[in-house]
Amino acid sequence: MAQVTFFHYIHKDTILHRMDGRLKLLCMLLLSLSASLASEWWHYLAPLALVAIALIIAKLPIIALLKDMKFFAIIILIVMVTNAFTIAGDPIPYFPFESVSMQGVITGLRFAGRLTLIIMVCTIVTGTTSLLTFKNVIEWYLRPIPFIPEVRVATMINLTFVLIPVIFDSYTEMMNAQKSRCVELRKNPIKRVNFIVFPLLSRTLRRTDEIIYAMESRCYSEIRTRAIFKTNKIDWLILTICVAVLFFVIL
Amino acid sequence: MPLLEAKDLTHVFPNGTIAIRDISLQVHAGEFVIIAGANGSGKTVFIRHLNGLLVPTKGKVLIDGEPIAKNIAKARRKIGLIFQDSDSQIVGQTVAEDVAFGPENLNLPVPEVDRIVRETLETVGLSDLSSQSPHTLSGGQKRKLAVAGVLAMKPNIIMFDEPFTGLDYPGVVQVLQQLVQLHKAGHTIILVTHELEKVLAHADRLLIIHKGELVEDGKPEDVISRTENYGVRIPLKNGEEVGEVTWLR
Repeated sequence: MAQVTFFHYIHKDTILHRMDGRLKLLCMLLLSLSASLASEWWHYLAPLALVAIALIIAKLPIIALLKDMKFFAIIILIVMVTNAFTIAGDPIPYFPFESVSMQGVITGLRFAGRLTLIIMVCTIVTGTTSLLTFKNVIEWYLRPIPFIPEVRVATMINLTFVLIPVIFDSYTEMMNAQKSRCVELRKNPIKRVNFIVFPLLSRTLRRTDEIIYAMESRCYSEIRTRAIFKTNKIDWLILTICVAVLFFVIL
Repeated sequence: MPLLEAKDLTHVFPNGTIAIRDISLQVHAGEFVIIAGANGSGKTVFIRHLNGLLVPTKGKVLIDGEPIAKNIAKARRKIGLIFQDSDSQIVGQTVAEDVAFGPENLNLPVPEVDRIVRETLETVGLSDLSSQSPHTLSGGQKRKLAVAGVLAMKPNIIMFDEPFTGLDYPGVVQVLQQLVQLHKAGHTIILVTHELEKVLAHADRLLIIHKGELVEDGKPEDVISRTENYGVRIPLKNGEEVGEVTWLR
């Protein structure tokens, strides 16, 4: 999955990359809501057009993204087929499966469209927003909610993303070390998993301990410098367009 | 008055193992101190007491004459620690973000944090890599980033725990150059290593910890002949002087 373009930040200098992360997240929610509430086929046109424009503006690798859609194609297909077979309605003339209804196919297509749109919206947002910005935005949105330690939550999210590649590296190293000692010859898959899981867990916990020490030695504190967000007119304009699209869908 | 002082430091682990026993030590401003010893001798446990990461079972640590327990945050600002495994020290998703971690903990204003990050990255020569993921850096660059993370806190004393471990020759030279530069810039250096052949020429003092006890403390030329009694190889070749023992040419 390392080469998949989906949900990976791609550094560029565009309006969407520079956009205030708080408004960007709000736009993502509005567009996802628009896609979810769309009931007529022409309702999809406005969010679809917006996604297409955003993809061009963000200079994301459109062809690579479309190729990577194959990872989601199976899920979308399952959604379509399930709807087609389970929703009662008029049978499709000359179609070999009688249990497939016209209404089922239409509903299936509608759900597939919604899912595709939501995936594309999320891809654009993650592709144009760095993890640091995400962390700061989450912290900002959680701040007014009582009893939630927003800095701690944001730090935990940050550390998770820092640790993931390190854990993967450890896993690869351990796997290779075991392969060099012919672990494949072991027939019992549970034992093989055991050989990886426990050492990996123990190493990860030891590393976590070290990270805590390292953070402590650099004066980790929850009273820390807060990120400054800058919002310009274009950001507000984009948000207004997203609100307009939602109204177009629900009215 | 010594800048840093340890008095009768003893640390006993919960299972009863004595990690260090009655270690007393004074470090003065501007000194370059090497702490050597075999694996498991208690070097790392000892230096982790010096910036308050571990609490001693007995004894105390003083910085500028004040016990560090009174103000741990101040002690950690003044005494930076660079860990043996740089990966464990790096908490940012980009090089710049990692350097900013310390100043942000101090709640400094954003423009000041940005300025410190810019200046520190310039000092260690990582400015061009500021937006890169630390995960993609080489071993030597990661060690530089760990140093940058500590330098951003403006410490007086910088402690290095086995900084040469796992580095190739250019990596060792890079770290060594940085150590010497930091010392020349006025920082007090405490270096934990058993690889004396790489660095001894630059040290003012050589300490040996053996089985948790401080067994030697003196000028390198006075101590060096006895290091092998404590599991540390004598780095001198035939006719070589202590002042020549370095990988910097």
